[in-house]
Amino acid sequence: MTDYQHKPDCSRTVHELHTFLDREITDESRLRIQAHLDECPPCGHAFDFEAELRHVIADRLRTEVPASLAERIRAAIENAG
Amino acid sequence: MAGAELHRTAPDRVGPCGSPPTRRGSYPECVADQASFVEDTQPFVGPLFGTAVRLTNNRSDAEDLVQETYLKAYRAYDSFQEGTNLRAWLFRILTNTHINRYRSASRRPQEAELDDVDNLYLYRRVGDEGISQSAEDDLMDRLTEPAVSEAVAGLPEHYRLPVLLADVEGFAYKEIAEILDVPIGTVMSRLHRGRNALQKALYDVAVDRGLLGNGTTATRP
Ligand SMILES: [Zn+2]
Repeated sequence: MTDYQHKPDCSRTVHELHTFLDREITDESRLRIQAHLDECPPCGHAFDFEAELRHVIADRLRTEVPASLAERIRAAIENAG
Repeated sequence: MAGAELHRTAPDRVGPCGSPPTRRGSYPECVADQASFVEDTQPFVGPLFGTAVRLTNNRSDAEDLVQETYLKAYRAYDSFQEGTNLRAWLFRILTNTHINRYRSASRRPQEAELDDVDNLYLYRRVGDEGISQSAEDDLMDRLTEPAVSEAVAGLPEHYRLPVLLADVEGFAYKEIAEILDVPIGTVMSRLHRGRNALQKALYDVAVDRGLLGNGTTATRP
């Protein structure tokens, strides 16, 4: 098992994982977390894993849109108009 | 409306109203007009359909849901508040329409609370399995579309929706709060729990499918 979260900074950093990756965080917090990730390989690795996982999930959930749908909507709107 | 105009390719650029520039409206005024509705909203058919599929778990129902969303949006377009976000507005109509369609017969079911799971659930489990960096990459490859779809479909809807809106559609917390009509704090807590629950579900699906568990013997260096 890796040794992240052994230090208080690690625990705090992991706690802020989501808001950091969402970029919904103050500049001050972002810089503090980034500095920690740069100097703490276990946390850096964990954050990289999470970022990659998000990318994979979003990619898998991409849906092919039926070619006929846009035309169907146009027709429905014209009928409604 | 002339067919030729309807078939015009929508511009890529998105203006401050959250919509592409229209033939008529300049950016500052951004007049919402039914005449420009199809053109303005065209770029969002795909994203709305993608979310509709994840809401209904059925492509045919999703098409119906998107069409109904567009009809409602068309009828309300004159009242669309300019300076607000057209994409978020359409997603708000989509989610409300879905809720009305599928819950009108029965009362809104109790919103079950998920067990709190810590951040890094999947990462830690992969670590516990003792698999290597290359196996970690393999895991990503093995999280196939059916596996991820199954995990997402199993999430309660009030967690699934914020996760989809944030992680697939890239909406900001504030936008999700507007779409779902809940406070930002609620968005954050649902995202937090929803994402962690999704990781647990992904792990369970991966184990069920034999992607993790007994077969993995390599060790993390
Ligand atoms: Zn650390």
